[in-house]
Amino acid sequence: MAKHSIMVIDDEKIVGDMAKLSFEQDGYEVETFLNGEPALERLKERRFDVVVTDLKMKGVDGLEVLRTVKKLYPGVKVIMITAFANLDVALEALRDDVHDFFPKPVKIKDLKASVKKAMGEE
Amino acid sequence: MKIEHKIYLSNAVHILLIVLIGMFALQNLNEILTKFRFTVIAEGLNANFLEMRLAEKNYFLYGDNEAFNNIKTRIDQTRETLLQVRPDIIRAVGAEKYTKLQDQLHTYAQLVDSVSKASHRDAVVQKKLREAGQNLKTFSENITALESDRIGAIIVRSKNILLYSFWAVVLFAFLFSNLIVRNIGQSLRKVVDLTRSISKGNYRKIEEKPSSDEIGAVISAINAMAEELHKREKEIVQSKRLASIGVLVAGVAHELNNPLNNISMLAQTYAEVYDGLNKEDRVSFMERVDQETERLRVIIHNLLDYAKPKEQHLAKATTNQVIQKILALVQNMLDVSNIRIKLALAEDLPVIYIDEHQIQQVLVNMATNAIQAMGKGGELRIASRYLPDNDEIEIEIGDKGKGIAPEFLDHIFDPFFTTKEESGTGLGLWVSYGIIKNHQGNIRVTSQVGVGTTFIITLPSCKKLMRCTDGEA
Repeated sequence: MAKHSIMVIDDEKIVGDMAKLSFEQDGYEVETFLNGEPALERLKERRFDVVVTDLKMKGVDGLEVLRTVKKLYPGVKVIMITAFANLDVALEALRDDVHDFFPKPVKIKDLKASVKKAMGEE
Repeated sequence: MKIEHKIYLSNAVHILLIVLIGMFALQNLNEILTKFRFTVIAEGLNANFLEMRLAEKNYFLYGDNEAFNNIKTRIDQTRETLLQVRPDIIRAVGAEKYTKLQDQLHTYAQLVDSVSKASHRDAVVQKKLREAGQNLKTFSENITALESDRIGAIIVRSKNILLYSFWAVVLFAFLFSNLIVRNIGQSLRKVVDLTRSISKGNYRKIEEKPSSDEIGAVISAINAMAEELHKREKEIVQSKRLASIGVLVAGVAHELNNPLNNISMLAQTYAEVYDGLNKEDRVSFMERVDQETERLRVIIHNLLDYAKPKEQHLAKATTNQVIQKILALVQNMLDVSNIRIKLALAEDLPVIYIDEHQIQQVLVNMATNAIQAMGKGGELRIASRYLPDNDEIEIEIGDKGKGIAPEFLDHIFDPFFTTKEESGTGLGLWVSYGIIKNHQGNIRVTSQVGVGTTFIITLPSCKKLMRCTDGEA
């Protein structure tokens, strides 16, 4: 069975680095991006099983990533992480489209559980 | 006095004038009528005298008794008439002339009687009688002519007075309406000035006590409205301040959560992959933790620094000198980035009353933003000018940089908002805004993507703040 693939987008480099280390340890294939544009380019080339993205980024933000993923691969789950502790009303409205929300600081264990669930439901 | 009352008064004066003119005209007409009646009577008397003279002539020519009796009858008739119209004649020409007329008639009657007794051929008597008759007739005719002249004079007088009063009424109407219109115009101009000033956010009242007319009522209402608006504006400012505290707190949370999350993830991953790490990797992990801690420390330090209430050291200052000083501070940055500077500083700007250090901080912040927005090359524009309408000076700092997207413009003064990719705490403009507001000034921004951004700062003159003479710090 081919490895499950995860795309991680966050303008904080440590988030991508740590996610890559941790998820690769569990046998996932991980690609990380520091902002939205190259991530969208990459999505046009290939499909990932799960996309984990930061919400607030310069240029292409998490919402645009979400829209593009849903357009290109309607079945792929998107997990959103954000440094905003209080979930905005506008984000609440997106709950149906987003598989999960994680406010920072993120518990990696919880994130892994969520990713696993997203794969299982696929 | 109310405008309504002024108009009533004007109308009353007009009606009074017209009634007076009418009464005068009526009186003149009555006088003319009286005179006219008298002339009719006098004409009758004159006709009688003429008949008497004719009969007198016939009597002397032919000596017939019929003519003599005719004279006697005419004399009696005249006497009777004179008695009947006595009041009319006295009223017209006075008692003296009436008596004289009566006397002359009496003389004439006596002469007629004497003629009848003596010979009618007596030349002396004849002559006397003729003379008396002639006198009587001339006197009567004179009175009539005099009265006709008087009627003419009265008509001319009436005509003149009507003409003059017509012009008087026209003039009065013109002057009075002019007065009212000017009065209303002045008051309305006050209302216009007042509303203009309110629309500029200047809630001054019209100092003088409003007049008691309708315009006064309007001014009172506007004053009340201005007061209410002022109160509302304060409430809005207060609620905006509370909202911006909310924005600040959300911003702070976001800024802190990122490095916190980094430390947390480093620690979690470190524990998870510990066995697979060599010594170098472990040191690298800990260094990254330390870097993120340092990041937190800087954020907290900056926050405390900005939050610390700073005492203002206000003093009189010259706008252009302040601008020249900050130019010296940013000159190195301009040289490194190869940016030209274009100055348009107005002369004769009023003195301002500021904390020079704080205003310099704002201007350096603006200039730095402009330089960073342009990158390499370009032109930094700094202009100063006087706004006499508001008694304020204006400083404009413009760049030919990449501009700010319209959706970001509204947030540009929010804390932690930044469009800079790497550096930038997002606090510079927020702090600048606070400083300018504390100086009772204003700061605004216009921007066009691809064309450039301009910040415009306004500061009140020391005169407007009433600080030109005192408060040297």
